Amino acid sequence: MFFRQRTGLAIKLTSLIMASAGLIFILTLLFNFFFLKKTYIAQARETAKFLSESKAQKVRLILARAEGVAATLAPIVASGTHTKAELNQFLKEAVKNNPEISAMAVAFEPSTYKPGLHYFAPYVYRQGDTIKSSYLGSDWYNYFNWRWYEIPKDQNRALWSEPYHEPTSENIVITYSAPFYKQGLGQGNFQGVVAASISLEWLQDIVALAKIFDHGYAFLLSHHGIFITVPQKEWSMNQNINFVATLTDNPELKKIGQKMIDGEEGFVRTRDFLHNQDSWLYFAPFPVRGFSMGIVIPEQELFAGLYRLSQHLSAICLAGLLFLVSVAVLISRKITRPISLLDRSAAAIAEGNMDVVLPKPASGDEIGSLTHSFAEMQDALKEYIANLAATTAAKERIESELKIARSIQMNFLPKKFPPLPAGEFVEISAVLEPAREVGGDLYDYFVVNDRHLFFMVGDVSDKGVPAALFMAVTKTLLKGLTEVGLEPAQIFAKVNRELASENDAMMFVTAFCGILDLETGELAYSNAGHNPPLLLRPGEEPRWLPLPKGFFLGVFDQTVYQTQRTTLHPHDLILAYTDGVVEAIDVHQNLYSNQRLISTVKGAPANSAEGLVKSVMTSVTAFSQGVPQADDITILALRFKGYKHHGQTLLTGKDSKF
Amino acid sequence: MQIFTTKEKDTLVLEVKGRLDAVTSPKLEEESQAWIDQGEKAMVMDLGGVDYISSAGLRTILILARKLNGMGGKIRFCGLKGMVQEVFSISGFTSLFPVFPSLTEALGHS
Repeated sequence: MFFRQRTGLAIKLTSLIMASAGLIFILTLLFNFFFLKKTYIAQARETAKFLSESKAQKVRLILARAEGVAATLAPIVASGTHTKAELNQFLKEAVKNNPEISAMAVAFEPSTYKPGLHYFAPYVYRQGDTIKSSYLGSDWYNYFNWRWYEIPKDQNRALWSEPYHEPTSENIVITYSAPFYKQGLGQGNFQGVVAASISLEWLQDIVALAKIFDHGYAFLLSHHGIFITVPQKEWSMNQNINFVATLTDNPELKKIGQKMIDGEEGFVRTRDFLHNQDSWLYFAPFPVRGFSMGIVIPEQELFAGLYRLSQHLSAICLAGLLFLVSVAVLISRKITRPISLLDRSAAAIAEGNMDVVLPKPASGDEIGSLTHSFAEMQDALKEYIANLAATTAAKERIESELKIARSIQMNFLPKKFPPLPAGEFVEISAVLEPAREVGGDLYDYFVVNDRHLFFMVGDVSDKGVPAALFMAVTKTLLKGLTEVGLEPAQIFAKVNRELASENDAMMFVTAFCGILDLETGELAYSNAGHNPPLLLRPGEEPRWLPLPKGFFLGVFDQTVYQTQRTTLHPHDLILAYTDGVVEAIDVHQNLYSNQRLISTVKGAPANSAEGLVKSVMTSVTAFSQGVPQADDITILALRFKGYKHHGQTLLTGKDSKF
Repeated sequence: MQIFTTKEKDTLVLEVKGRLDAVTSPKLEEESQAWIDQGEKAMVMDLGGVDYISSAGLRTILILARKLNGMGGKIRFCGLKGMVQEVFSISGFTSLFPVFPSLTEALGHS
């Protein structure tokens, strides 16, 4: 059991530390992850923006060069004095010096270069590494209707064309056309355009370089939403972003497309349209003809580093946690070990081994102080148990002595009366119920001589052992001092003198005694401060026996007692008792009272002293149900059965006092 | 049981209330002993508030009376009623001690 407990405490401590540390680690990891993720996203946006801008810058430079070439050439050719060969030479030089330019042409209005010459447009183009020249213009290729020619002519300004398939090479190109006019006359005297084309393939190469990660890519969108450059080459000039969005079931892409067409800048998370993966898309306006550039960054690759970092961090945390566990286990073991030892000692003490040696505390910490307190408790317990054992032994001895005392006291009282032949004339029944083991109540009866029967009831002040001793003395004195011919008052006077002679404790006895003349029924009685007995005569109401005055026995040695007389009829009953009867209380603190005693005796059997005693006792017990008996209870009933004839003998050797 | 004491000239009045039995009597004995130790010799015990007195109560009174007697003091009683009066009468206390109907009368005879 004690091992289980020790492990329990260690496990509790360890788990607590683990749980706290684990929580801190997890929170840190989560915070780190989300914070870094944000940083990664922000960085990706910056990178994409930078890429986009640098590509745009590069393209802008190249375009500017093409524009410059065309713009420079335009006023030169406008002079109209150059030969075919010269014009060809200009174009060749320009194409040669500007590798980005795929082709150049100087296209004249009909009959402008030479009257009657409908088409005249010297054309120089790049084929592989060589530069070739040719002339544009035929029924098959009527350049006047082509946009690169028509729009600058209409708008009277130089501008870039939309991408278009070059009829000579099937390349997709954009063309910058600078119009030129009759020398000095300006607008209105349009003579033709100088055109410089740039292959979209070249643009594609530049855009393709704006790629982030292995599966990232970039694309260009025209202001109509058509893909200009895209890794999926067959889509170029062909596929609309709206259509792709519908095709890939990606309504988000449609919205992004619209924003790109509107020339907005943005960075959004979406599914990419090539690999259908979660990606981040940066888009920004591109400096050509309202184009927009999109850079797609696959999320998985974007966060690959983050994931790797998080894995490493988690591994480090886990290792740290494992280290913490071992430290926590070690510490809790160290803490719980002395507790366990103490616990073992406590268990031994609990089993009754008071002399078990407590573990020596290693330090002055709480456990040391606990051990110290425990040692004090152990000593106190030892002492207490020793005391308790002694006390218990003493108590048991006293209890056993009290039991013996009670048995002596009870045996001390007459139990069976009367011995034949007195039983023919008198029936006596009595009960004594002490409130404690022994009590101070007493009763007695015995035949004095052939005619006379003595009986008495008494009550020593107080209860318990002192009262019992005083009771024994009183009873012995009463019996010892009763002599033939003595009146009850004389007996009381003698007993009183004896008791009062040495009574510093001021113990006293209230008593009633009577001597019944069995031949005449005359009852002589005396009183020493006792409750009046009841006289029950068949056919009459119960009545209190009128008592002469007389003070307690044992207080003043000169107290005078009086004898009073009455005559009993056959079947008369005398009921004497102590105040334990009338002063018994019930749960409501009501006294049993004289009235209740009278109504009880009225309902009792009239022809039996024993029945009367039992009735009264039963009634008192029932009355004080549940309330501990406060005072000793004594009830004595005497029933006069009939006159004894003179000469009949009462005395037997055993019961005689003499 | 409660005990209230007042001093009327040279007489100490002990007004006792409640039950005077084996449980409460020691307190009365203790308290009256304390007054005796302070030199009180004349006492009136007003038992008007006592509704029950047991033999232990009577014994306490006897002890108190004997002490006062031994030192030339005196004790009187007043206000007895009901069960207490009955017990005083039956036991003979009435003929043994000066008993007065009221406190005024008890003090008047001092």
